Amino acid sequence: MSLKNVFTDWSRYRKGIEEGGFHDYEHMWGMAVDLNKCIGCNACAVACYAENNLAVVGEEKFYKGQAMHWMRIERYWDEPDLGEDRVKEFNHHGANFIPMMCQNCNAATCEPVCPVAATYHTPDGLNAQVYNRCIGSRYCSNNCPYRLRFFNFYSYYESSWPEPLHMQLNPDLTVRDKGVMEKCTFCVQRIRAAKDKARREDRKVRDGEFLPACAQTCPTGAITFGDLLTLHTPGGGVGETKVAQMWRDHQVELGKTRQTKQNPELRGYRVFEGLNTDPCVMYLERVREV
Amino acid sequence: MQSKDINEDIRWAQINEDVLRSLENPRMGYWVAVGVCLALLALAIIAEIYQYRVGMGVGNLNWPHMWDLYIATFIFWIGMSHSGTLLSAILHITHADWRKPIYRFAEAMTTFTLMTAALFPVIHLGRLWNMYWVLPYFSDRGIWPNFRSPLVWDAFAIFTYLTTSALFLYIGSIPDLAICRDNARGWRKKLYTALSLGWRGDDRQWRNFRKTYLVMACFLIPLAVSVHSIVSSDFAMSIMPGWHVTTFPPYFVAGALYSGCAAIITLFILLRYFFRFEAYMTMPILDKTCKLTFAIAMVWTYLNLIEFASVWYGHDKVAKELLIAKFTGPYSPYFWAMLILGSVLPFTLAFEKLRTNIPVMFVVSILLNVGMWLERWMIVAPTLSLSYQPFAFDVMWANWVQWFIVIGSFGWFGLLFLIFVKVIPSVSMYEVKEMIFHRRHIANKDIAAVMHRRATDPKPAGGQPSGASGSTPGTPGLEGA
Amino acid sequence: MRKGRILALFSNFDEAFAAISDIRHYKVPGVSVDDVTVISPIEHPEIEEVLGERPSHVPKFTLLGALTGVTFGFFFLASAQATFTVQPQGGKPVIPLPSNFVLMYEMLILFAMLFTVTAFVIGARLFRKRKSLYSEKVSLDQVGIELEVDEKYIEPLKELFNQHQALEIREEVIK
Repeated sequence: MSLKNVFTDWSRYRKGIEEGGFHDYEHMWGMAVDLNKCIGCNACAVACYAENNLAVVGEEKFYKGQAMHWMRIERYWDEPDLGEDRVKEFNHHGANFIPMMCQNCNAATCEPVCPVAATYHTPDGLNAQVYNRCIGSRYCSNNCPYRLRFFNFYSYYESSWPEPLHMQLNPDLTVRDKGVMEKCTFCVQRIRAAKDKARREDRKVRDGEFLPACAQTCPTGAITFGDLLTLHTPGGGVGETKVAQMWRDHQVELGKTRQTKQNPELRGYRVFEGLNTDPCVMYLERVREV
Repeated sequence: MQSKDINEDIRWAQINEDVLRSLENPRMGYWVAVGVCLALLALAIIAEIYQYRVGMGVGNLNWPHMWDLYIATFIFWIGMSHSGTLLSAILHITHADWRKPIYRFAEAMTTFTLMTAALFPVIHLGRLWNMYWVLPYFSDRGIWPNFRSPLVWDAFAIFTYLTTSALFLYIGSIPDLAICRDNARGWRKKLYTALSLGWRGDDRQWRNFRKTYLVMACFLIPLAVSVHSIVSSDFAMSIMPGWHVTTFPPYFVAGALYSGCAAIITLFILLRYFFRFEAYMTMPILDKTCKLTFAIAMVWTYLNLIEFASVWYGHDKVAKELLIAKFTGPYSPYFWAMLILGSVLPFTLAFEKLRTNIPVMFVVSILLNVGMWLERWMIVAPTLSLSYQPFAFDVMWANWVQWFIVIGSFGWFGLLFLIFVKVIPSVSMYEVKEMIFHRRHIANKDIAAVMHRRATDPKPAGGQPSGASGSTPGTPGLEGA
Repeated sequence: MRKGRILALFSNFDEAFAAISDIRHYKVPGVSVDDVTVISPIEHPEIEEVLGERPSHVPKFTLLGALTGVTFGFFFLASAQATFTVQPQGGKPVIPLPSNFVLMYEMLILFAMLFTVTAFVIGARLFRKRKSLYSEKVSLDQVGIELEVDEKYIEPLKELFNQHQALEIREEVIK
């Protein structure tokens, strides 16, 4: 409690995202997913399960909808915009798929509804989830338009990794018990490790120095990961990362509910950006032969 | 049909006798009712222990159906609590004195439904052993709850409402507890002596009592409205189609008053029958309550239609799809049932023949509440099944764990109410006396005076002792003794 | 001089008020209407006209409570949020006024109510041992008049009450 603090820093505490927000961002981790390159092989999802100690819930619970898939390949067989006749034809060309992971929205709808502030925005631009603080009200998941938050409906660890599979658990992060919410963290343990290493060596984190498990595993290199912070500075400059370059090339900007592109042919888009969630993941539309 | 709200010739001693009789040693039926309530509660406890030990998944909750019956029932109970406030506070400040014989149990209902409702946010938590983290307390680590979250608003609102309505109920019954004290023996004497706080009915006490009661009534009205607006914020503050609706606060408040009034009719009939309160819970009062319920039902219907219309013409694709799915999708039987029970059935209240028929009203009032429960469920479930992300479209049906807890909450409420009717007089004795006194000596005398003046020479009535206006010496003021 | 206390019970308000009216007109020299306490099963709607205006301080406490609640609410929330700067969420400021207003509103009502109830308990002199002269008939249907006066006035008062058909008169001496 500090009343003095309130008065001296009042204007700072009153800054919303439109005025730049409270944080002085150190990073703004983001992604670009090229759907042209995505072949729907699910390797990213498998890598995510291995890296993040995701519980394997088994067939029965999977059918009940109690699975934990932080990273998932969504598969759609129809494209209603094409019209009735074309849908059939479309089916012959195969499914439409999109890898979905937490979009780490800058104006995340899940954050303000948490009663105990277990989910919050870090100075890294991440949408963090504090497992220890979570009381399991599940409001965040209800309020996520992407439905990318998953709840530990059971103590999955009890049966998820029968011996000797428990030896494969990643020691860098926890195994969650029942009653907490969890979601993709952009492999925050790797981000931490890279930042710590950079600090020890007294330098900045280099672009591509580390990758989240999904990006690392993707056989076609459809997922690009990196720092979007330079997007905010006009022209980018020397420190422009590869992912920021992609965003700039596709004329996708943060902080907008609708992109104004000079070239409408450019494929970049963000999912549901009209909801003003300001996601940090950009998708590049698939080009199809039809 | 009897035309007066209450027979003005009831002796005051008779009122005490009739009401105190209801507190006497319970009969067999009472213990049967207690047994039923305990059995229902036991079901809930079994289910809750199972859920507590194994996890939230046992109730069939899944992704994306993170909330279901618990939250729906939470809104249902908290909604029911609103009519106690309506009857006692709003009708008090508008001087509608027909509320007097029936407001006590309505207020008790307010408090007990809140105590029931407050259980649900706790039950539905994944880690309910940490639920105190929602409360703002000083911590060495400087951690606070998130004051931005509608769930924290809920915690504040429920705490405030529960405190205030419990105090309102208690303070309003202090004069009656004093009557109990004067007539009780044994352990009850001790209990009521403690509860009545030394009330003896002197003018200083009455004066402060009247002011306090009025002030509390004035504060309870905006509080009740704010409480259900805040509950509606759980949905209206979210981004989901079908939840993100501007009209939700008034819609919820109307629904709350509606289900509460229906519950008052149910309890009215039960108390009237079991405690033989025919002289106090009279047919004209039931008639007025029914008319009030009908009016609120129409407000609720109107707000429902407004919501449909605004979604339809707003042409937000996702919200419109959801609305159509409510009418045609997997939840449609329940949605239609809600519309029929909530908007069509209340028209029975519009006919005097039906609304003065006690068995019919008993059934109707229960069905109205079934409709209102469905309404809450139809707010929660369809949105979760059909939101923005097509990959997450899913329909889920609750299993026995959730149902047991929902059913058990009725047992819990029934138990609290059964304890109440044997401890606190469920008809306010002193207010019924006031009502009779007022009608005999103030309201009717004015009419009598006018009639008298018209009949005879317009001569000013004089000769009254100074200061004692409004009561002529010689008229028997009180009877009995 | 020793003081005494007298309680007279009447069968209705009219007789009691007639007796008070006599006291008001100093039918018993030395006893004023301000010494009179009326004990009744209900509050007579026009009792002020008989006893004169007597103050009640409850609403002042309510106002005080409301003001306390709303100011405390604001500073409590703001200073809590200012120390818990993990709070920036969903692009909202650290101190979001709209949601704080909601909570301030609740705190206004809560504090106003708690102050009101406290004022009632103090103002109505509750939590005290009932005086020995209390009659249980008052909670039933009789109206009582109680006075605490010098012992010498007890007799004339008794006479006055008997004139007005008092049903029962009790008295005691306070040491």
